[in-house]
Amino acid sequence: MKHLIACLALIASPLAAQDFSEGSEARSWNLYAEAPAKFDAEVVDVLCTLTGDCPEDCGAGRRQLGLVRTADDVLVLPMKNSQPAFTGAAVELAPFCGQTVTVDGLMLDDPELGANNVYLLQTIKVADADKIKANQWTKVWAKNHPEAKGKGPWFRRDPRVNSIIETEGYLGLGLDVDKTYIEENF
Amino acid sequence: MMKLSLKATLGTALMVLSAPLGAQAAEGTRIQVTGEIIDTWCYYSGVMGSPDAVVGSAHHTCALWCSAGGIPVGLLAEDGTDYMVLKVGDDAEAAGGDTLLNLAAHTVEADGMLYERDGLNYLVVANVVSDLDITNQNHDDYGNAPPFSIPDPNK
Repeated sequence: MKHLIACLALIASPLAAQDFSEGSEARSWNLYAEAPAKFDAEVVDVLCTLTGDCPEDCGAGRRQLGLVRTADDVLVLPMKNSQPAFTGAAVELAPFCGQTVTVDGLMLDDPELGANNVYLLQTIKVADADKIKANQWTKVWAKNHPEAKGKGPWFRRDPRVNSIIETEGYLGLGLDVDKTYIEENF
Repeated sequence: MMKLSLKATLGTALMVLSAPLGAQAAEGTRIQVTGEIIDTWCYYSGVMGSPDAVVGSAHHTCALWCSAGGIPVGLLAEDGTDYMVLKVGDDAEAAGGDTLLNLAAHTVEADGMLYERDGLNYLVVANVVSDLDITNQNHDDYGNAPPFSIPDPNK
């Protein structure tokens, strides 16, 4: 009976603990909880997967998309694309919704903070096609915001962000609080 | 007879344990939760500072950038549990949508459905019961995080 229990315990060990670093060419971001991870997965609309609310186009990049890993059926949440520019991964994955792809990137694992199965996406590969970099977000933003063309990064020019900052301030507490803070700290 | 019973038990146990974890369908639970609408990437990655620094007024501007940029938005409850927000009311645009952008760094009281899958909590908010605006005024303790989130007026 002891042997039976031991066998069952082994089988029941968390599949999420598998090592997916083999073959990964992911670049380090020097994050304390990062681990390279390359795996096959189906691109899914997370809201659809969990609730059955499923538009045909998976939200066209406006919903959060997930990766259901082929090896263990774990739902991985890609939080970031490969650009160091405050940009997510849904726009990168949207063209592949419903398809099985090979992704490469960095898994973050910090259970104490709640970071389980969250991912920084660097490349996407479909079947025999060449892998592509997950860096399209800023190009899509520029195409959608011709009125915001100019120098500097997108986040300094984004009309929605700037509109909120103009009314609520950088600290979000009103322009008077901003004024005092800037006078004291710059 | 005992042998058959043991075999059957073992067989059933193996079938259950070897089934893909995700095949266990997520079942929602209705919850009411109060917490701050946060930028999950900075919170989890540590790329912009400690967890206490990448929330509240200190991180408001960066939270706007990340929300507009389509990074998943979380609701960080008072007990430290983080919920990935997938929808608010009728707005399912959780990757860069207006509703969550306008709530960045705000403390809200939400009523919705919780779905747990593979170590993450996903929240479908049916109703924001109350929006308390920014209650975590932590900029005096942590400055503005990251420091470049406020352009230096002297440059």
